[in-house]
Formats: sequence, structure tokens, C-alpha cells
Amino acid sequence: MLVLAPRWTAAAGGAALDAIRERGWFTWGADEEGGGPYVFPAPDQSGRRTGFEVDLADELARELTGALGKPIEARFAQAQWDKLPDLLQTGRIDCILNGYEWTPERARYLLATVPYYVYELQLLARAGDTRIESWETLRTLPGLQIGVLGGSAAERFVAEQAPGARVVSFDGSTNAMGEVVKARLDATVQDYPIAVFYQKEFPTLRFVGEPAAPGRYVIYVRREDSALCEVFNRAIVSLRASGKLKEIYDRYGIWTRAQLDPVLSSLPKIDDSGETAPLAERAVQFFHAHALILLRAAGMTILLSVVAFPIAIGIGILVALGRLFGPKPISILLAVYVEVLRGTPLMLQLFVIFYVLPSAGVYLDAFSAAVLGLAVNYSAYEAEIYRAGLQAVPVGQMEAALALGMSKSLALRRIIVPQAVRIVIPPVTNDFIALFKDTSVCSVITIVELTKQYNIAAMTHPAEVLPLAAVAGVLYLAMSYPLSLFSGFMERRLAK
Amino acid sequence: MNEAPAAAGEKAPREWMVRAIGLVKRHGQEEVLRGIHLDVLRGEVAAVIGPSGGGKSTFLRCLNGLERFDEGTVEVNGTVIRSGLPPAEEARLHRQVRAHVGMVFQQFHLFPHRTVIQNIIEAPVHVAGRRVDEARSQAMALLERVGLAAKAECRPCTLSGGQQQRVAIARTLAMGPKIILFDEPTSALDPHMTGEVLSVMADLASDGLTLLVVTHAMSFARRAAHRVHVFHGGRVIESGPPEQVFDAPREQVTRDFLKLSSE
Repeated sequence: MLVLAPRWTAAAGGAALDAIRERGWFTWGADEEGGGPYVFPAPDQSGRRTGFEVDLADELARELTGALGKPIEARFAQAQWDKLPDLLQTGRIDCILNGYEWTPERARYLLATVPYYVYELQLLARAGDTRIESWETLRTLPGLQIGVLGGSAAERFVAEQAPGARVVSFDGSTNAMGEVVKARLDATVQDYPIAVFYQKEFPTLRFVGEPAAPGRYVIYVRREDSALCEVFNRAIVSLRASGKLKEIYDRYGIWTRAQLDPVLSSLPKIDDSGETAPLAERAVQFFHAHALILLRAAGMTILLSVVAFPIAIGIGILVALGRLFGPKPISILLAVYVEVLRGTPLMLQLFVIFYVLPSAGVYLDAFSAAVLGLAVNYSAYEAEIYRAGLQAVPVGQMEAALALGMSKSLALRRIIVPQAVRIVIPPVTNDFIALFKDTSVCSVITIVELTKQYNIAAMTHPAEVLPLAAVAGVLYLAMSYPLSLFSGFMERRLAK
Repeated sequence: MNEAPAAAGEKAPREWMVRAIGLVKRHGQEEVLRGIHLDVLRGEVAAVIGPSGGGKSTFLRCLNGLERFDEGTVEVNGTVIRSGLPPAEEARLHRQVRAHVGMVFQQFHLFPHRTVIQNIIEAPVHVAGRRVDEARSQAMALLERVGLAAKAECRPCTLSGGQQQRVAIARTLAMGPKIILFDEPTSALDPHMTGEVLSVMADLASDGLTLLVVTHAMSFARRAAHRVHVFHGGRVIESGPPEQVFDAPREQVTRDFLKLSSE
């Protein structure tokens, strides 16, 4: 999904703070899906949420109440994690408070508070897997499959530190951990709080080595909201000084010595040279940074589409013929097939194929699983299109063919299907374009195609969202337009 | 009614091309055919006439297996099909019958995605296994015969109704049938196109081909048919040479029907 975030420019640095004082609350954006111990549904089933960031938000509200001289409440807003900056820019939330690392790219684009937590990365492997002894193993043992959260600091860290390893990006931390347990991955690198929190759910995972590669979790506000940022800064400093922060972190077992590091608990200087480089140079840099990666991702989008769709067509034709001309039990069975596959989301089907089938002994790599999921899902839609197409051919055509001595199958092949094909070309083209775009759903099973790659790039380079979106959009158009041309050509050819 | 098939002259049973005995066909409760006894001799041109809903088309379609029947026996060109056969056996016999029985439909049913000549060579090539060039030259000869050689490369949709029906006849002839079933071949045509189709049929009749024609074209039945059968209410109520059926009908229903048809 491409989200273009317009940057509303507020008149004064105090606009957001004034608004908060006015309404009596501030909204903080976070993602509670798989969000432990940051933000997650309270285990008591009360419908409330808990987590160290919930506690922190409440403490911040208390500090704001003091600073503004008026009761201020902290309100949670749910959003997909990687879309939080877009949400912030559109003004729907006041700040992001959700394990967002400080990066120079983000800091150029958003305003960061002082760090509220110093995170480190933890390496996790299976308890029984003695090959992986330390961080060093990632370098010395090439070809290891390492699961990480897509777009996270861990992803960048592994890519830099262990170039020989194969990095597999997941949408959720627990997915990567589960894959290590199932031995489909060798290890995973997680932010320390996550590793601690999910340790009890994955008892067969083992902490390898010391936490490493410290970084800063900061609260982001819009660039123009410097006044709000200042209030948050004072609040964080005061919470740290009073020991309130340690109290919160101790509650979740995530307090580490790194919190005491004076350098890590303040913001580094930003090197602004990239911002001031001439446009041409920046364009070259941009091209170097993204063009090849996006092109390769576009290649994956094409590959998935052109492999999956012919299979979907093949299955679809068989299903349609079976439903129309097969014996009753088969016809009923196929009707169920169509209804089940049409009636459940593609994402769920991909999940089942990739995460559930292995426990039934069917192991498919991510690409095969993606192809299978897309092909099977679309075969149901194709089958219905072909069924309609076949039924649209007049009965007399079949009778004339039979009367000429053709067998039913020959009549179908030579007379009925070719006529049905002409009828179904427009809806089938439609479906192909839909599948082409639905390949982006495959990111839930670690496939990196164009949309996913765009999201990753936009995450790491938030200031370049606009050109990135433009490039991704142009790539999609460049891929789908020839398709439309081809379909138009086929329609004209067959309509003769 | 339900009388034994009238043997024409001294001809032996072997000379039957079509013989139906006690054919019954039901649609749910309704009996569409209520015991049809009818035969067609080799080389004979038989016309089936009668009011709509009398079972004429259904009877024709039972002969080549486009419809299944519930009771009775059909014998076509020596192949005997009884009611209640196992489906696989029935399908096999149907194909055996269709190899020698052509059919021409009211709505032509040409294949719209193929050219005229492709329509004609489709079955010779893909059913009879003939070579394409052979099938093509035979098809051209047939198109000459029906007067449409110039239209060989046209799509059916560019032809008039009469021309389409002539192509359909050529398509049927290409399989070298022993008998052709015509199911109201001129009923979908404008009156001025009826003549061109009937003259092709008359041409086939004069060649000695066996024809069984369900028709409303009384002049054709009178001129070309050796025998005329009158269907009414799922039965054959009257059979005989055209001069007898048309000029001295025995049944009141026949008289009423002929009176209406001539108006």
C-alpha cells in the first residue's frame, strides 16, 4: 500500500501543545498487534491494554498535567506499525511512542525526543543447536538463515554484520521466533525487550551471547511541534531522575545497564550534509540506494504473477468443467472448493500454507507457498468466470458438435471452450491485474516484492517517501500497462 | 394409432434406415412421446408434419441421442438402442449412430469462431481423422454444391440465414451421412430464403440420400417426400404418401392442421 503523507505545516511550534491543552488529552500512536511488552492486550481479558509504553504514556500524561496546569490524559491510537509516521504527518495522532528507533533519516523528517529507553539486540537460537555460540558465529558460519522484523534495526544490523547470512524479514517478531523453533530458520535477532517478553512462549529458544548494538527508542512528533517535544523531553528527563523509568522497566524485566549510559540516553548530533547536497548529487545517491533494490522487488512481483496465474487458470478450467460436466459428487465437492477459497481471505490462506501446513508435514519454501496460495485462491475466481463463460455458449453448439460425431470432450475442447475464452477475456484480464497487485499480500510470508520493498525503503528513509512512492508507482504502471495492451490485443484478435 | 410400421412395398427389414418401436419420452409427469412407431426406408424422403408440441422434434432428437427416451427401441442404420441401457453403453451406441446420421437444426448452430470452411472440415479432420488438404478440397466441392464457394473464408455471422443453413447442410454432408435429420430447417428463415434451402434439400433427395424432415413447409413435403407422417399429441396419427395425406386425410386433426397451414 502506498501512502503519501502530506506535510501539514502548522503556524507555530506550539500548535499541537495548545490543542492538547485545549482538549485535555494527547494521542499516542502504536501497534498492539504482537506488541508485547510495548503495548499489548491486557492478559486479564478486560479489553484494556498494558505494556511499558502504556505505563510510560500515563506517566507522561501526569507530567503534562503538571506542565500545562490542567488534567491531561493519554489516549492510545491503534495503527499498523510501519504506517505510524504517515499517521503522525496527517495530524491524526500527536506522537509516535512504539519502539521507534532514533535514526538520522527519521530525525531529518520528524522531531525526536530524548531517548526513553536504550534497547539492545539479542541473538536467539534453538536450545539444542550448538553451532551458534555467539554473535561471531553469524560471521564465521555463512549461509545461516536469520529471521528479523522487517524494517527494524535488527534487520540492518544483521545485513551489515553478517553479509554471509540470509536475512528473512517477517511482519511480526513472533513469526520469526516460531520459525526458529520449527527449525525452518537458524536464529533470530530481536530487540531485547521482545526477546525477554516472548521467552516464556518459546521455551526452546536460547539467548546467545550478550545484548549488542545499542540504540535509542525515542518519541517522535511532527517537526513543527517543538514545544510539545520540549515538554516530553523535560518529562522523560524527570522520570529518569526520579527512578520512575527504572520502576516501569523493572516491572517488565527489561531494565538493562545500558539505560545508565549518559551518551546513549541523549540524542546524537545529526550530520546534515546529505540534506544540503546539490539536487543532482542527491538524485544519484537516491538512485544508487534504491533503484536496483526496487527493480529486483518488481521482478519478484512479476515472477509471482506469471508463475501463479497460469496455474490458477489451469485449475480454474478443470474446476469449472468438473462443476458443469462432472458427476454429481465431484460437482458438489468442487462447489465447496470454490466457496471455501472465495470465502476466506488470501492472507489467511497464505498463513495456513506457510505456517500451518509444515506441522502436517508439508514444507514449502516462501516462494512456492506464495505461488501455491495465489494460484489456489485465484483458481476459485477463475473457475466461476469460466463456468459463466461456458454457460454463455448456446446449448445448440454442443448439440451440433455431438451430432457431427464429436465426443463430449472433443466438443468442449474444439467448440465450447474457444467460444467461452472470448467471453471471459475481459474478466480474466481483470483478475490477472488483481492478482498482480495481490502479490503484495505475500509479504506476510516473508516474500519481498515491490510494495514490501517500498515500505522497507520508506521506513528507513522517511524523508524520501515521495520520490520512493513515485518510483514504485511508475514501476507498477510500467508492469501493468503492457498487460492491458496485451489483453486488448487478445480481445481484438479473438473478437474477429 | 400405434399400428405396426407400414412396410412399403416388398422391402425387407434390412432396408430400414430408421425404425422406432413404441418410443415413449416423458418430461416429469408429461408424456411427450406416447409410443411412436415409425420407419424410414433407405433412400426414402420422409416428412414429419403436425401441430407444434406434437413431439416431432423430440422424436428426431431421440434418433441420434440428443434426447434420451424412457421406453421403446430405436434402430438406426442397423444400430439398436433400447431404453434403460447403462449410460456408458448408451453413449457408445449414440456415437456409433452419429457417425452415419447427420442433423440440420432450425437455428443452424454454425460454429461462430470458425470460418465457413473451417466449420465444414472440423468434423472430417478431428472426428474422421482425414487430412486437412483432403478435407478442404472436399469441403470446397460441397460449398460449390450449395452455391457458396465464394464464402469459404467468411465468418458465419456475415452470412444470411439461408446461406448459413446451406453451410450447415454442407457441414453435415462432409461426414458422408447415410441419413440426414432435418429439424425444421426453414422455420427460422425469411420466406424469400426458404426456397434456396429447400432446393438444396430437393437436390439431396434426388441424389437418393435418405432424409427425415420435420417441417412446416407443406409444399416441400408434398413435392419431395415419399411418405408423410402426421404427429399429434406424442403419437403418429396418420402416415402415407403425400397425395393421400394432403388430398384425402383420414384424421380430422390432419384436416384441421392442413387447413390452418394453408391459410
